[in-house]
Amino acid sequence: MEEKQSGSPASLIDSTVVPGDVVLDLSSMTNQTIKLGGGLRQDCDAISVMKAGTLRFSKPNKYWVESSQKRYTPCVEDAVLGIVVDSKADNFLIDIKGPVLAFLPVLAFEGGTRRNIPKFEVGTLLYLRVVKANFGMNPELSCTDASGKAAEFGPLKDGYMFETSTGLSRKLLSSPTCPVLEALGKKLSFEIAAGLNGRVWVNAATPDTIVVVANAIMNSESLSGAQQIIMVEHLLKNIQ
Amino acid sequence: MEVDREDGRTQNQLRPLACSRNVLHRAHGSASWYQGDTKVLAAVYGPKAGTRKNENPEKACIEVIWKPKTGQTGKLEKEYEMILKRTLQSICILTVNPNTTTSIIIQVVNEDGALLPCAINAACVALVDAGIPMKHLAVAICCCVAKSGYVILDPTKLEEQKMKSFAYLVFPNSVHSVLTGGSVQGEPMEHGIITSVTHGIMSVDDYFYCLERGRAASAKLSDFLRRSLQQHPTDSSKAG
Repeated sequence: MEEKQSGSPASLIDSTVVPGDVVLDLSSMTNQTIKLGGGLRQDCDAISVMKAGTLRFSKPNKYWVESSQKRYTPCVEDAVLGIVVDSKADNFLIDIKGPVLAFLPVLAFEGGTRRNIPKFEVGTLLYLRVVKANFGMNPELSCTDASGKAAEFGPLKDGYMFETSTGLSRKLLSSPTCPVLEALGKKLSFEIAAGLNGRVWVNAATPDTIVVVANAIMNSESLSGAQQIIMVEHLLKNIQ
Repeated sequence: MEVDREDGRTQNQLRPLACSRNVLHRAHGSASWYQGDTKVLAAVYGPKAGTRKNENPEKACIEVIWKPKTGQTGKLEKEYEMILKRTLQSICILTVNPNTTTSIIIQVVNEDGALLPCAINAACVALVDAGIPMKHLAVAICCCVAKSGYVILDPTKLEEQKMKSFAYLVFPNSVHSVLTGGSVQGEPMEHGIITSVTHGIMSVDDYFYCLERGRAASAKLSDFLRRSLQQHPTDSSKAG
């Protein structure tokens, strides 16, 4: 029943931690700035874990817990796929799989004025950027990038949207390109939009291609790089 | 003192444990927890916007629904719901997502003694699977006191009915810490207790003896919980 005491924080980095584990002792680190990412909280002089996952460290001073969930915690500058739930006078209410609905101001479009407010039906799928994600407030979204240009944000027409975990969407958006997308891209031609909130949209010329791409991505969650390539080859062999 | 238990276990021996995460496709977090023949399935949905009527909107609200194996829900199920709600409220960090509701649904698959501890364990793993922020985890155990005064752990349904009294005890899990001697006012955190529910008549000494035995067994449960959380969500973990 004794606590396992590790001599230095390095021993917990890159290992799985569960809620309650203390990963840093601030009383021994004075005059240092530490940046905490998701999954960690400060409890007086100790940094403890809130969510189970793998503890990661990036030089010089960033700590965070990497985990994969079905729900999303909104962060600023994330690209997400949202679905319109309602429209008010000043905002559209958008569902981004977070704890609360997000607002999209009606003027947050390139060249948006009171005269050309877009009309989105309930259920429209949009590719958006998170502008504000403050504690206790609804997140704010935008259909433009930081400089005000449209930059691919906005409604996504046709295609097929499916839901994944946040971990898989991070893998899809990582660079270098995820092995499953590379293997699919060598043989098929398709368009894809991945949101960090666990939604992926695929569009292609024929429904067969869309289904193969969607199935390949959904299957690749628990596979390693080499296994993903083998799985994609297997799927493509069956349709050609 | 040697005690004869019907299934051949010793006084302090627990039944075989098995735990799986992410068993349900639509739930945001789910877990199944088997202790011998007692099987419980827990599903977590949330956090979702809005709290119930009389709840504090500055904190997250936790709602528990208990579904028995057969029959309609009655007073016993309402009591279990209340005990689970209070236990989970004390381990979750309620200030992270104010004005949201997290729903936990417990489905009893099979009942064979120590039902409430099994449900608390399952609910804890399901909350971790859903990524709800928590202060630490909870491990629950049932201790019975017999007429002749000996204490047995993790009883089956027949043993529970024959015993003079029993207690359900919920302890915090053991943490991995980088702090040396991380303790609260001189006692390690595992010496705390979260919930205690007693049935029947037992003397104060018997109760403290139950606490001691339960606390010793909670270390084993804690290790099992940590191992099962370290595995990939789609694998299940078993301990004999």
